[in-house]
Amino acid sequence: MSVELSQSGQVLTATGLSAGYDGRPIVQDVNIEATPGKVISIVGPNGSGKSTLLKSLVGVVPVLGGSVRVGDKDITNMTPEKVAALGVGYVPQIDDVFPPLTVKENLEIGGYLLARRDVATRIEAVLEFFPRLKVMLTRKAGKLSGGERKMLAMGRVLMLSPSVLVLDEPTANLAPIVATQLLEEYIRGFADHGSTVLLVEQRAKAALRISDWTCVLGGGRVVLEGAPRDLEQDPVFVESFLGGGAARHQAP
Amino acid sequence: MSSFGFGLMTAAVLAIATVGFTMQFAVTNVLNLAYGSVMINSAFVGYFFNARGMNAWVTLVFGMVTGAVASWALNRFVFTPFQRRNLAPITVVIVALGVDLVGTFGLQAIVGGGYVSFRIAPGQEYHILGMFLSGMQLIILAICAVVLVMIHWLLRYTRLGKAMRATSANPNLARNSGVKTQMVISTTWLISGALCGLAGTIFAMNTGVFEATSAQLYIVMLLAAMFLGGPGEPYGAMFGALTIGLATEISAAYISPQYKEVVAFLVLLGMLTFRPYGIFGSEKTN
Ligand SMILES: Nc1ncnc2c1ncn2[C@@H]1O[C@H](COP(=O)(O)OP(=O)(O)O)[C@@H](O)[C@H]1O
Ligand SMILES: [Mg+2]
Repeated sequence: MSVELSQSGQVLTATGLSAGYDGRPIVQDVNIEATPGKVISIVGPNGSGKSTLLKSLVGVVPVLGGSVRVGDKDITNMTPEKVAALGVGYVPQIDDVFPPLTVKENLEIGGYLLARRDVATRIEAVLEFFPRLKVMLTRKAGKLSGGERKMLAMGRVLMLSPSVLVLDEPTANLAPIVATQLLEEYIRGFADHGSTVLLVEQRAKAALRISDWTCVLGGGRVVLEGAPRDLEQDPVFVESFLGGGAARHQAP
Repeated sequence: MSSFGFGLMTAAVLAIATVGFTMQFAVTNVLNLAYGSVMINSAFVGYFFNARGMNAWVTLVFGMVTGAVASWALNRFVFTPFQRRNLAPITVVIVALGVDLVGTFGLQAIVGGGYVSFRIAPGQEYHILGMFLSGMQLIILAICAVVLVMIHWLLRYTRLGKAMRATSANPNLARNSGVKTQMVISTTWLISGALCGLAGTIFAMNTGVFEATSAQLYIVMLLAAMFLGGPGEPYGAMFGALTIGLATEISAAYISPQYKEVVAFLVLLGMLTFRPYGIFGSEKTN
């Protein structure tokens, strides 16, 4: 990485976390610790609460019990704008850009908290990282392809040099080759650069390849966790996620 | 050709009004049906000072301040509390309708039912492109043009304007980017309210004689112009206003002035039926 994109990380910790909508918990009693230089991934079937968990970490969904910390700060139920200001960058699973705004304007909003004079240089830095965006600065975000759009979504978050990256299924709907590049080059790259990465990923195999630790979410709880090489040996994990035999054809 | 001149005036005033109206809808998600009553109340505040000797153009400032403060307060004390309760969106629409009636007839109770008019010199008559326009009308057109350019500049080039558009497009993502959306929304009410007050005051000047209920049917014109350009699209609003302004005045000349709102309403129905996202708007998924 030629440019300073992300800062070296802070620890993100969730302790006994419960969260949900309208006071009804979806995620229950989750403990997660994401540390600098590591990719921590969360896998699990659709509807198991992965997105809800991430949203509760960044202040979009209310925390109903337990706590969330970044470094030495308690960020439980802090507003999303304050969480962003503390260096936590969050890329949602859907609605991850501002469609009617141009690519450049999306990046400018990403740099909303920067001093005005720093925005242009920061956009340059992000464009060095995602050069494909350079030629489409005046295009509306809603007109980008899936891969370009995800790059923009990540670029928006990188505008603030986050120390913690929270990414919700960044490879969904991407062509396999683009997905692999995003995961192995960029996302693994952030961690190697010292950032803290918390990643939700549908492609379990691909997630294991770049992760240092993986949690399996089921029904809103962590049902299994471990280092990738241990999970690869776990018959239950293999059966449910790595397509062992008949499980391949069933919805995970 | 004189109907074209009238149409241009109507369109210019409507453009200012619709841009404010559509900004409220886009950024704050409130279809503020009380807009017409804020317009006419602002006009009467301007008239109050004008009747006491203040230059009519100076009273525009008072009209704008009235619109800004009234709209901000409406949002702060009426719409936001209702929105917080997570009721169906239609609730806020009905509340706004109630506010409109209270605002209009409350005003009527204060100022009475009679017609009044601004004391303003019409100025010299100019013959431009086949239209006859008074000096006063030219000043109004100039004010409208300047204000629309300023709004364009605000939305395109300023940090606040971009934050407003981002909040409109995706409020959660805006917050995740560090935008204090509540502040952006409050500011939007102030700015759009100032447009509402300005529109109300020049509407009253342009109409000549007016009374407390003069803007009651204006909401139909606003809705038609907004839907024509695409809800929440400020540039569409300018286009919609121009079209509705010209269409209603030309039909007034050929059919009857009483059918102005009917024509606007027909356009509105047509848009809702065939292109509810406007001429320029695209079908949005979110
Ligand atoms: N906005 C919402 N309001 C109420 N329930 C929701 C909302 N979003 C998601 N849920 C529910 O929460 C559960 C978990 O959803 P989600 O966190 O999106 O799962 P995942 O990301 O693992 O697919 C689902 O049962 C879903 O129906
Ligand atoms: Mg999800």
